[in-house]
Amino acid sequence: MNYENGLVLSIILIPMVAALVLAITRRVIGKYADWVAAAATGLTLLAVLALLPVLYEGVEPRISLDWLPQAGIHFILHVDWLTFPFLLTEALVTVFAVVYSLGYHHRDERTPFFYALILFFGVGMAGTTLADSVFLFYIFWELMLIASCVLILAWGEGPNTGSVALKYFLITHLGSLLVLVGLIYLYDVAGSDSFVVLKSGLELAPSAVRMITVLFLIGFGVKMAVFPLHIWLPDAHSVAPMPVTIMLAAAMLSMGVYGILRFPLSIFSPAQMSVFAVPLMVAGLVSQIYGALMAIAEKDIKRIIAYSSVSQMGYILFGLGTMTYEGVAGATLHVIYHAVVKALLFMCVGLVIRATGKRQISELKGLLKKMPLAAACSAVGVLAISGVPMLAIFNSEWMIYSGGFHTTHPGLVIAMVLGSLLTVVYALRLFSNIFLSENTEEWELNSIPRTMNLPTVLLAVLALLAGVYPSPVFGWIEQELTLILGGLW
Amino acid sequence: MNTAFYSILLLSGSALLIYLLARLFSCRNEVLACCTALVFLLAGLVLFQSGEVRSESGLALESQALKYLVQGEQDWPGESASRLIAATAMALGFVVSIYSARYLELDRRFKTYYPLLLLTVAGLAGMVYANDLFLLYLFAEWMSVCAYVLVAFRRHTNTAIEAGFKYLIMGSVGTILFLLGAAWVYRDTGQIVMPIQSLEAGNWAAAGVVCALVGLGIKSALVPLHTWLPDAHGRAPSSISALLSGIIIQSCFFVWLRVGLGLGVSKHVLGNVLIWISLANMSVGNLMALSQTHVKRLLAYSSIAQMGYILFSFGVGLRFGVPEAIRAGFLYLVIHAALKSLAFLSKGVCHFYCQTTSIEEMRGIARRLPLAALTMALALAGLAGLPPLAGFVGKWFILTMALGTRHRLAVVGTVVFLLMSMVALGYYLPLIVQLFSIKPDNSQAAVPVMHVSMWMALPLIALGGIILAASVYPAPWISWLSPAVLWMGGG
Repeated sequence: MNYENGLVLSIILIPMVAALVLAITRRVIGKYADWVAAAATGLTLLAVLALLPVLYEGVEPRISLDWLPQAGIHFILHVDWLTFPFLLTEALVTVFAVVYSLGYHHRDERTPFFYALILFFGVGMAGTTLADSVFLFYIFWELMLIASCVLILAWGEGPNTGSVALKYFLITHLGSLLVLVGLIYLYDVAGSDSFVVLKSGLELAPSAVRMITVLFLIGFGVKMAVFPLHIWLPDAHSVAPMPVTIMLAAAMLSMGVYGILRFPLSIFSPAQMSVFAVPLMVAGLVSQIYGALMAIAEKDIKRIIAYSSVSQMGYILFGLGTMTYEGVAGATLHVIYHAVVKALLFMCVGLVIRATGKRQISELKGLLKKMPLAAACSAVGVLAISGVPMLAIFNSEWMIYSGGFHTTHPGLVIAMVLGSLLTVVYALRLFSNIFLSENTEEWELNSIPRTMNLPTVLLAVLALLAGVYPSPVFGWIEQELTLILGGLW
Repeated sequence: MNTAFYSILLLSGSALLIYLLARLFSCRNEVLACCTALVFLLAGLVLFQSGEVRSESGLALESQALKYLVQGEQDWPGESASRLIAATAMALGFVVSIYSARYLELDRRFKTYYPLLLLTVAGLAGMVYANDLFLLYLFAEWMSVCAYVLVAFRRHTNTAIEAGFKYLIMGSVGTILFLLGAAWVYRDTGQIVMPIQSLEAGNWAAAGVVCALVGLGIKSALVPLHTWLPDAHGRAPSSISALLSGIIIQSCFFVWLRVGLGLGVSKHVLGNVLIWISLANMSVGNLMALSQTHVKRLLAYSSIAQMGYILFSFGVGLRFGVPEAIRAGFLYLVIHAALKSLAFLSKGVCHFYCQTTSIEEMRGIARRLPLAALTMALALAGLAGLPPLAGFVGKWFILTMALGTRHRLAVVGTVVFLLMSMVALGYYLPLIVQLFSIKPDNSQAAVPVMHVSMWMALPLIALGGIILAASVYPAPWISWLSPAVLWMGGG
């Protein structure tokens, strides 16, 4: 086991072992469960970051073990430039979510299980990006779903967590089944479970290509929560405890993007995929406008941010649909930036809810003076999500639009740009209602623990930094695109 | 095959001994349970002795009928498949008898329970090994009679009597039909030792084949002949339901296949029939399970559905000549035996300590019986086929094989399979949710955790451990199954 393979393995093993330790020794370690989890996720993030120099050297770590030799199924973990941005996003979000929940989550005897499940959720996402065999991919993909579903079920906030968790599970599982059929079909055609073999060229009839792509697009679309496959999202996001919401919104949605990039876009040639360009762009546009309109209409502040995810995934889908270099690069950038900004927004909303105990936007007024820190961070968040220059999301939106103008459908891009005005509307409405409007109430605020403030501020700084100095992230994306597109576009 | 013969002999002989032990010395339940478990273990070990001890070695106990067993087996190529089924049954018997050491405190009729348990498994082993129709009938009836009594074991309740009676009537019709079929086949061909080319022999023989398959179809709960099952499996003591749902209907199905192939029905036809029946089984089982309010009835309907998955896998294997699909079928059969018995046994623990029967009463059981709730959730998630549990490994194989054939029938079957496994989530998940949720009036907040007896906890832990092991690293389990496939796929 050399250095880089050890790193890859530790990304999976550290949180998994930590989770098992938490679950088994909960009586002994229970008091420190949160710190154990934080340490595990921190180490995982370090391991992910340590992969960066390895990748720059041009080494792609790969662990391959026999798992089910009778069926030609292997346990393969592989890191390449397509994996890396998603892996980093996931590890980063998990660390921030765990640190945030140090202050957010009250301690009781079930706490070790809470953190164990959070860690398993993280393992599921990391494994999904690392897996290089279809069987393994699906197992991690479902692990992610099961862990998050149990979290919503057992720690959800509100009266009907059971039905929300059930709805979340059934709808996303339906998507997973479509993915499963696609995976099995590919596995059967290629005669191997490895992605490398899949990528090295499959001879498929055009009808088969279309069928598989449709299966994947719908299946991954459910996870991305684009309209009209988003119906699980608002409930799940508003009921889940805040750290889980952060992980769901900022990291898990992007796993759907990863799936689309990894399967249809990497495996099939641009010529085969061109049929889907316009439908994807239109779906993205519809999703963007619908999500934004719903966010404007919504009254619960957590649900506003939840609907904003539907809208933001619309941008990403649009970027993928352009099938141009800029568009796909912009979509991937948007995944990373959206993760940062969405986590930031949810954290700010969490601060407000924690301090006031209220969630309705009409009840929250004039908190600027009472909560200056939260206001500052929210300002960064809402400006970033509205696409204001010098903040993260502006860069990726720019790329997505420019990709759109390289296609033969500039009308769609113009609609998209105009639609992004709606984003500004809901973002500013959220901010001005909570912080700026005239204060009519005497607020008695609960104190906010430092572990909730700290990650919020850090993310705000990160959002600023990413906007001002995007070139390193952009460098990774560039590598990724050469990998997917192979210099074809 | 001699080993099977000795194994059956051991089981039925010890049944008598244990009865005497209970009768004469009034042994305690735990002692009887341990003895029974030991017998199952020994019988299982004997089964795997590949010693070439021939019947001439001076064993005087051979009656004419048992001789058939011994001689017939010499040509029986599917011996390892039979052994797989018999060994699974014995393993389940082992687990169930340990479990009964405490569970049977509910009924307290030890001296009939353990001998009947042993005899049921003995009959099952004989049935799956038997190679001539007469002997097969004999053992099938042997197993069934014991099973009827065990279903009606709680004879003080009307429902158990009713379920046992229904099972008795329908099961007897099944065996009688089989006997009628065997007689007609004998009329035209003059043979009772399989394989028999009965379809060419004449109309009577052909009608006999149909009769025999319908008769065995009743016993293996093929839709629409399944109506006895929800009652029987829902009313029997949980330990018995575990055995009934886990292996007995599957072993009857195995015999169904053996008889179908042994009487000369072509694989193509048999596969087609199986695929169509499997669609009915999946749909009826899953849709009916949705509306159940009692946990055991729900599990019983889920068994009908799960039989559908097994049938589908075997059907694809036979119809399209894919050995891997048959292997997948055997794999799923064994996995299902572990999962379903775990579910029933966990349910039994809840029943034993908290007197719960309906789904509504299961609410919040995790507070009081965390272990039982956990194992039940594990079993239900496995039955639902959620990765990474073993049930998913089985499903993956079935789906890959079915899609790999590229045939319209298989694709239709796959679509139904996927749809129905979605429907199945609609009853497995709410039940899991129910286990872990709290009553709205919050009356359970301070309920103490109940102490579960080791006799009941250990079987749960062992089965759960086996399922987890098979989930994490399924490769060796599949290698053990592979020889069983040679019989149908290789030939």
